[in-house]
Amino acid sequence: MEVARYKLGVALATLSFLVLTLFAPCVIAAQADRYEILAEATRLANEGDFAGALELFHQVPAPGENEDGGVFVRSRMEAAKIYFSMDRYPESARMCGEILAIYPDNLEAQNLLRQVKAAQTPRWVRFLKDLKTYLPTLLKASGMTLVLVVITMIVSPVMGLFIALGRISRIRSLSSLFWCYIWIFRGTPLLLQLFFIYYGLPPMGLTLEPFTAAVLGLGLNYSAYLAEIIRGAIESIDPGQMEAAKSIGMTYWQAMRKIIVPQTYKRLVPPVGNEFIALIKDTALVSTIAMVELMRAADQIFNATFNIFILVQAAIIYLVFTSIFTVSFKKLEDRLGVYENR
Amino acid sequence: MIELVDVVKRFGDFTAVDKVSLNINKGEKIVIIGPSGSGKTTLLKMINFLQKMDSGKILMEGKEVGYHRDAKGRLVLEKQEVICKLRSEICMVFQHFYLFPHMTALQNVMEGPMTVKKQSREEAREIAMDLLGKVGLLDKKDVYPAFLSGGQKQRVAIARALAMKPMLMLFDEPTSALDPELVGEVFNTIKALALEGMTMVIVTHQMGFAREMADRVIFMDNGRFIFEGDSQDVFSDRMDNPRVKAFLDKVL
Ligand SMILES: Nc1ncnc2c1ncn2[C@@H]1O[C@H](COP(=O)(O)OP(=O)(O)OP(=O)(O)O)[C@@H](O)[C@H]1O
Ligand SMILES: [Mg+2]
Repeated sequence: MEVARYKLGVALATLSFLVLTLFAPCVIAAQADRYEILAEATRLANEGDFAGALELFHQVPAPGENEDGGVFVRSRMEAAKIYFSMDRYPESARMCGEILAIYPDNLEAQNLLRQVKAAQTPRWVRFLKDLKTYLPTLLKASGMTLVLVVITMIVSPVMGLFIALGRISRIRSLSSLFWCYIWIFRGTPLLLQLFFIYYGLPPMGLTLEPFTAAVLGLGLNYSAYLAEIIRGAIESIDPGQMEAAKSIGMTYWQAMRKIIVPQTYKRLVPPVGNEFIALIKDTALVSTIAMVELMRAADQIFNATFNIFILVQAAIIYLVFTSIFTVSFKKLEDRLGVYENR
Repeated sequence: MIELVDVVKRFGDFTAVDKVSLNINKGEKIVIIGPSGSGKTTLLKMINFLQKMDSGKILMEGKEVGYHRDAKGRLVLEKQEVICKLRSEICMVFQHFYLFPHMTALQNVMEGPMTVKKQSREEAREIAMDLLGKVGLLDKKDVYPAFLSGGQKQRVAIARALAMKPMLMLFDEPTSALDPELVGEVFNTIKALALEGMTMVIVTHQMGFAREMADRVIFMDNGRFIFEGDSQDVFSDRMDNPRVKAFLDKVL
């Protein structure tokens, strides 16, 4: 019994000794030189041994009262970055949190934490946030789109009517002149016309604001299209109408103004409506001559965020515009057709 | 009152009206009959200056009107204002009415006085209401042409012409586009006009109407007047012109 008790005592003593001699140096070393741990961990991290590096970083203790925390902050920061790169966001956030618990003003930790949180939120949440953030910008830009559309919608039918009347007039030179006009503006791309007006005219001594150039380009182009539509509508009116008007003594222009042209209004609505819907989309082309409108704004935001939903949002705004136009043109057509028996 | 002298109209090589002379006296009712393509419409349109004649003369109250000659001696229509003035005194009623579809019956009738004669809206309205009453369509005054029957349309067209207070009315087959049961109402309207002493030239295929109305009947064929006479001459058994006889046998 005595012997057994003795043996156990020796064993325990030996064990304690072993434990002490084996582990004490490490603990002492850690307390003594956190710089070395940091250096060692950094080395491991550079070699790609992230698991080892992380273990060492964790061993750097929090600084005591009045102690310099530089090494601690460094180690936690590095660990947070490694976790972040491994997509282990909760650990990364915890590392940042440990720094901020002691130094709440640490900018680096704050930044990383923000990034971690951003990375933790799902993509679609981020995208939705973007949509909310950039919606005012898009709406403001679509205001410009609308302004361009409305101006062109006012200018081009009026000019188109004059061109159409010139085309069908018996004054040969006038007719040929407008034929040429239509030939050029319908036969070349709108984009090219815009480029020519904005980039091509300045060397000839005529420099235009982007807005003026855009209005001019759209107006000239759409007048040509509308002129042909209006001419077709006028020519589709029964020639008997002109004869009847003349038979009661009206002049050619009186007959045109009072009898022929008013009869074209209803027939004009569907094709002109189509043109105006094309116009809404064609305004996107003026983004190429330094105009900020819906397309340009959407493009800029997309390039900054790579958020494809910005483009979807722009598409929806375009759709709202075109839908409103479609519906109102249908209404207008019905209103103008009251004299028809259907 | 109005006289045509050797009037010619060609379309290319084709002569639609070939040296036709016609004297229209005040208050006279002239009916022109003849087969399709004989040049009746073309003749009426030339009287109304809607077609330019190639040679001949049109005299109004003994004076040549509507044309002058250019350096090469060709006929040229006078300036638009002159022609319009003439047209407003000679009105034409068409086979297919040609009412202005975007205007109500009343507006159709008011349009001429307002636009051409520059009468005030009130004046024009008064004239138009009066005339619509005369053709029996006062209750349709605010109806658009598309909602009128053929007979009603033609009566509005007659009122529209009358609103210009013309000295001569030209009717080009005024009932040809109508269903048979609607022919009567238009004829009655024209008859009432005739009784008021309106001078008119009527082209028609309705022989009964021609017989009843005409002071003078003219048979036209191939751009020429083949036969001219009062209605008794044309529709009696004494009629011996073979072309006229053949035509009448076909249509009667
Ligand atoms: N604008 C034109 N151009 C060419 N030919 C024409 C023109 N107008 C009429 N014609 C021709 O002139 C001829 C006479 O036509 P018009 O209309 O005067 O005949 P119409 O006697 O009135 O016939 P309908 O009884 O069918 O009305 C026809 O052969 C027609 O083809
Ligand atoms: Mg005819």
